[in-house]
Parts: sequence; C-alpha cells; structure tokens
Amino acid sequence: MSFRRLGLSVAIAAALISVPAIAGNKLIPAGTRIAVAKSTLTVQPASEWNKLGARPGRNAETWTLDGDALNDLTFYGGIDAGKPLFREADRKNRPLPTVSATMLITDIPALLESSYRIALGTAAMSIGTVEPVTFAGGKGVRFTYAFTRQGETLHRRGEGRGAMIGGRLYLITYEAPALYYFDRSVAAARQVADSARL
Amino acid sequence: MLTSVPVFAQEKTGLKPGFQLKPGTARIVLLRPSIKVGAQSTGGMFEPNADWTAQARENIAAALGLAQTSLGNIVGDYVEPGNADPAMLAEYQELFDAVAQSVIEYQFFPGNRLPTKKRDGQFEWSLGADVARLPGLAGADYALFVTTEDHFGSTGRKVLQVFAALARVPVTAGVHKGFAGLVDVRTGELVWLNADLQMGGDVRDAEGAQKRVRQLLEGFPGKPADAPVTAVSAAH
Amino acid sequence: MRWRIAAALTIGMASTPAMAANKVAPLPPYVAAYQPTNVDERGAWMMADEDERHLRDAADVIRDPALNAYVRGVLCRTVGEDRCKSVRLYILRVPAFNATMTANGTMTIWSGALLRLRNEAELGAVLGHEFGHFELRHTLSSFRNRRSGSDLMAWASILVANSGAMQISTIGGFYAFDRAQETSADMIGVRYLATSRYPSAAAADVWDRIMGEADATAIGRHRKANQKYVAGFFATHPTNLARATYLRAAAQEIGDGGSAAADAYRAALAPWLPTFLADQVKLNDFGGSEFVLAQLAADGWTTPLLFARAELYRERGNPRDLVSAAGFYQDAIARGDAPPEAYRGLGLSLLRSQQIEPGKVALRDYLRRKPDAGDAALISTLVDS
Repeated sequence: MSFRRLGLSVAIAAALISVPAIAGNKLIPAGTRIAVAKSTLTVQPASEWNKLGARPGRNAETWTLDGDALNDLTFYGGIDAGKPLFREADRKNRPLPTVSATMLITDIPALLESSYRIALGTAAMSIGTVEPVTFAGGKGVRFTYAFTRQGETLHRRGEGRGAMIGGRLYLITYEAPALYYFDRSVAAARQVADSARL
Repeated sequence: MLTSVPVFAQEKTGLKPGFQLKPGTARIVLLRPSIKVGAQSTGGMFEPNADWTAQARENIAAALGLAQTSLGNIVGDYVEPGNADPAMLAEYQELFDAVAQSVIEYQFFPGNRLPTKKRDGQFEWSLGADVARLPGLAGADYALFVTTEDHFGSTGRKVLQVFAALARVPVTAGVHKGFAGLVDVRTGELVWLNADLQMGGDVRDAEGAQKRVRQLLEGFPGKPADAPVTAVSAAH
Repeated sequence: MRWRIAAALTIGMASTPAMAANKVAPLPPYVAAYQPTNVDERGAWMMADEDERHLRDAADVIRDPALNAYVRGVLCRTVGEDRCKSVRLYILRVPAFNATMTANGTMTIWSGALLRLRNEAELGAVLGHEFGHFELRHTLSSFRNRRSGSDLMAWASILVANSGAMQISTIGGFYAFDRAQETSADMIGVRYLATSRYPSAAAADVWDRIMGEADATAIGRHRKANQKYVAGFFATHPTNLARATYLRAAAQEIGDGGSAAADAYRAALAPWLPTFLADQVKLNDFGGSEFVLAQLAADGWTTPLLFARAELYRERGNPRDLVSAAGFYQDAIARGDAPPEAYRGLGLSLLRSQQIEPGKVALRDYLRRKPDAGDAALISTLVDS
C-alpha cells in the first residue's frame, strides 16, 4: 500500500509539487535471510529488492523494484489486536478497522478490503479467490484482489498471504498496475512470501 | 497550499544505455500532448485558464512541428481510430504518468534513488510490450509522450514568497513541469525520458513555447546537432 | 394554484412571507446551450470538460443502462424535459451521500445517496438542487470565492503552526458552493418539486435523516453527537438543521400533494441494493450504517437488509455482536430467499462464538449452495478441521 498517496485528493496532488522527502532507501541483497517490519518475521529473497525508507505503519515496511506506484511488496509484521493495518490518515472521521485476536483467517481479506476502501476512498476494491495456505508456519490464507483509486482508470491487482499467529496478524501483500507491472514481478514477490518464517 | 521543497539537484534526462536512433530510420507517433496552463493564486491553488491553455496547445503544436524537422525522423500525430477503446488509451496514459513520476522520484533525485537504480548508466523502465496493441500504433516504431503543466504565480504569491522566506517556510512561486518520453512500441521500453519540475519558457507565447519544446526535447536521441540550448538554466 | 404558491414561496424566502403574497414569479425561463464568456468562466468550463473526459473512462462509474435511465427519468420529471436535456448524468459508485454539478452540465450522483433516499420525490429533491446550481450558474462565482478563501489559508498557514488540517479542508471544498448559493439552490429545488408530480415536502425529509445519521455515526465512534446547529465561520453549507427547517416551512406553505413514488424507487434500486449495502457495511461506520439500515427498514426488515445488518455486526465482531449477527443471518434464512453467503456468515459467526458444530453445519450448507465460490477451498478447511 503506497500510503503516502492516501488521503490526498486529486486537487491536492495537483497543487503539490511532487518532490520526495529524503527517504533513505536501502538495498535488500539476494540470498540473505532478513527480518522485516520490525518484527520476528523473516524472509529470504532470491533476487534484489529496494526497501523504502518510508513505512506504511509502525510494524510494516515496503519493498519495491521500480517505485511503490509500480510494484509494492508490503510486510505487516504482527499487528496487535486493536491496531489498524496501516497508519490512519484521518482517525477521527475515517477510522480504519482494527485487528481482533479472535479473527478467523477468512476475516483477513475482509480487513484488507475494508481498510483500502476507506483509505483510498473507493468502492472499486474487490477480493478475488481465497485459498488455504501454510504461511510463516501457520494456518493461513492466500487471496487475490483488485482495485482502482477514486477517479482513476489504471487498474491495480494484488495478492496477499496472511495468518493469525499468537493473536497477531502477519500479512504480506504484493500489488502493481494490471498493465505489465503485476505479471512482471509477481514471481519474485511470491518467492519472498513463500520464504516467510517466524 | 504550501510545499516544502528540499533543495535537491535533480537530473533531467535518462537514456537507455546503448540506445541509438539513427536519423531517417524510424517512424515516431506523437500522442496527444497533455497540456495544462493556469494561474497559481496566493493560496497555491491551480486556476485553469482556457485561453492560456488554448494558446499553449497551439504554440506547442507549432513548436513541436518545427522541432520535428530537426529530430531526424518522421514524427506523425496520433490518430485515434474510430473504433478504439478510449479507456485503454487513458489507462496507458496513466501508466506512462506513473512511470514518469517514478523515474523522477526514484532515479532523477539522487538522494532518493532506489539502490537497484543506482548502477552506472542504468535506465530500465517500461510500459510493457502490450503497448503495441494500442489501436493507431500499428506501423509505428516509437511513441512520443509529452506532458506540460504550468501554474503561473500571481503577484500575491510572489509577495507571500518574501514573507515565507522570512519565516523560513519554503514556498515556490509557480509550477512549470514537463516531461517527454520515447517508448519503443515493439518492446514497450522507455528508451528516453526528459523530465523537469522547473522548466523555462512561457508556453503562452510562440517564442516561449519553442524554448519549452527545445527543453523538453533536450537530449532527444538521434537528434542531429542543432543550435545549443542556451536558456535552460536561465529560468531557474 | 400550486404554481402560484410555489412562485410566491421563493420570494417569501428571500424577504418576508407578507411581501410574497402580492408578487408571483414563475420559474425563470430556461436558456439552453449557454456558452462561457470571460476568462474565468472559460477556465472553469475547460477543467469541467477535462474532468468529464476523465469521468467517461473512470472505473467507478455505474453504467447499468436501466439504472441510468431510471435516475435520468426522475431528473426529467422533476426539472422538466427542456432543462433535463442540457445535463449529462453520471452515477458514481462511491458510498457517501453526495451529488455534484459542474459548469458544463456534468451532474453526478453517488451510490451512497441512492442507497439513502427512499422515493422518487427525495431523489428529485437532490437532483433538482444540483440542477439549481447549474441554472443559477453558481460554479463560476464559487470559483472566485474559492480563490479568496484559499488566499486566506495560505497566509494563515505561515502564521499558524498546525495548519495542515485547515489546508486539507479548504481543498476538500474545492468544488463546494458557498452558503448563499446552497440556500438559493435549495429554494429553486423546492420550486422544481412544486411544479412536478412529486410532493415538495420530500426535500426536508432528506435533511432530517442526514442529521440523524451524522449523530448516529458520532455516537457509534464514542463521540458526542456533535451536529453543529449554527454554521461556523468557515462553513460553506447552511447547517442541516437550518436546511430541514426552512425546507419544511416552504413545503408547508406550498401545501402540495402528489405521490412520492416509493414503490417504483424501491423496485428500480432492488438489483443494486445488495451491492450498495455491502459498500456501506465495509466503511467501518457501525453507528451510521445501523441508522441507514433502520431507516431503510422503516416498513419492515427485508432479506437484503437483514443480511447486511448481520454482516455489519459480524464485521465489528464483539462477542455479543457475533450472537446478534447469527440471529440476523437466521432471520434472513428463515425468509426463504437469502443468498448462499448468509449461510457462510452464519457459520463464521458461530465458529467465532465457539459454537463449532452448528458453525460447520452452516458452512457445509454454504458449500452445497455455492460449490464454485471463490473461497470454497478455504471454507472447506474450516469444515474439515
């Protein structure tokens, strides 16, 4: 989730001059097991990625190959009960749903869907297939999703894997424009998600 | 709207390593340029100005027409076939914008560059080979995208700038950004991109538009040596 | 007679009811095909044209021909055939109560409004209000007002440290009209209703419910019900209370009747109701959603409403919510026309309430009714484990 673009209306985006803040992006080398999202969740990428200096939330981090608008691999490392998935842009008027310790794995895609709908201000967000999978050693869920931002034409596709382990939510999502970018790095993203361990 | 603009050195041109475009060898299709001109009020709000935009559209078209003869290759305007799916073209334009913005954000600003994009001379960006399926691109070798957006600062904005400087709040007067990109229709690769968030040339008059187009096409591959662009930094 | 009262009313709102009795002014003659003249106006039109070009391809436009024809029909019956011709109407799938109008004749109505309205008369009230902005050419003067409002904010933001929220709210009102314009659009909207087949009281009904929903949302989020009954300095719209009050008074003076056409409205919306309800339930606004559902259920709880309510309670997911959710799913199922997803929701609610065996029975029912469901494989693991 490229959260830096959340909550900005088209008007603001047009008024802003898009100059990035100094971010401190780091290279993620291939072949090394590494802890992600300030948590005990580890992954071992088979190819290089870039870790963005800006985080979507306290227990989250984003990797990309070409920029988070083009490919976005985000790790949520053990979100506690009562916490939202990512940082809230407007907690008072648009609060995000929160993780619950009694969530079933079927509730994980629903939580992501609701969070995106609220944060992106769109009803054009839907969950596709939902399957059981072993994730980070736990009973988990793998699901596909699709969305477009409000007023945009560019379709984006996504794929997520998550599990509730010890009352916390662990989740990895990959998303990219449906044109070209999704297919281009989905295999690399899946490899990273497959390697997840706790 | 105030914008904190850290002082960055921005690079302006990217070219795929080893890419060469020999004069007289390629057919280039110019997609409908995206042109927006208006004023920026003291609050930084964009106020579109139809007259300025119409002038700019005419001036830039004329300037591009002039420049085309010096690009060394045939440049034709994009003609949307009657049966084309307008949503598909719109989606590709949004993809190009996303890619161009990503190039600016993650490659042209060295302080924010992605480590994998740091290697010497590297320039790997693409819209995907399916771009060839866009109706109207059959028979073309390259597609040329041009975008300009100008917000002219009002007097109030310039006064505000002075006060803001005293208060150590950076405020920019005016937005003058533009980018031009050349996409290889067969591979979808972005072989060349020239982008600048602070361009020169007042697009509202013919001479300024020519300057803007010269800047936009600066570093265009395969361009025979022409008059040096002298005014690039004068506007900054 | 109705015509005269309606006309008298507008003047009455502008000055005093006593004056109104002597003067009778009909709706202004409609001038079609207006073209922009000066620089500001042409700028606003150009931007509106670009926006519409964009809208044409946007993913969140609902293109269902039947729904579009129906909503357009209500607009035409409200403002009349000649006025209605100058409007291109787009239905946006955005779950919030809103409708917009731009200078070039682009009107949008959002799915969140269609969900909340109860009959053709209320829909006519909203569309007529928006058309009023167009007929009175409000978009242009609001552009000028906006410019000065925004200037004020830029100065303030240097002087006031924490000004981020103020900037956002100014930009948020980019397309907003000012308060006087809103009031005059309200009043011309009432006049369209008065001259149409619909009762003009519908306009006030809409605002009464908007106030109730805002309060319900606040209470659901553990805040005070904070309807501002006095418009603040920066408010662009009249307060909803003031609106409901003056619209109610206007309708009483007109005293017209007519059918609000609630049955026809419900029938036209029926194919989309489950979708719009689902969009609402996913907003994480428990109080507001409960209020909307209760309003829609004023004449009884239908299957789609029961199902949506069950989903809402299951999504919040407190232990007592799960018990309520299971009950609502069962009520929906008992009506005989519940979707397979009602069995899914029932099963998941029961599982989360530690009622494992009954939960599995319901999930097996779901799989039997929808063997090719996107989540069938996952649900199977819950049943088998």
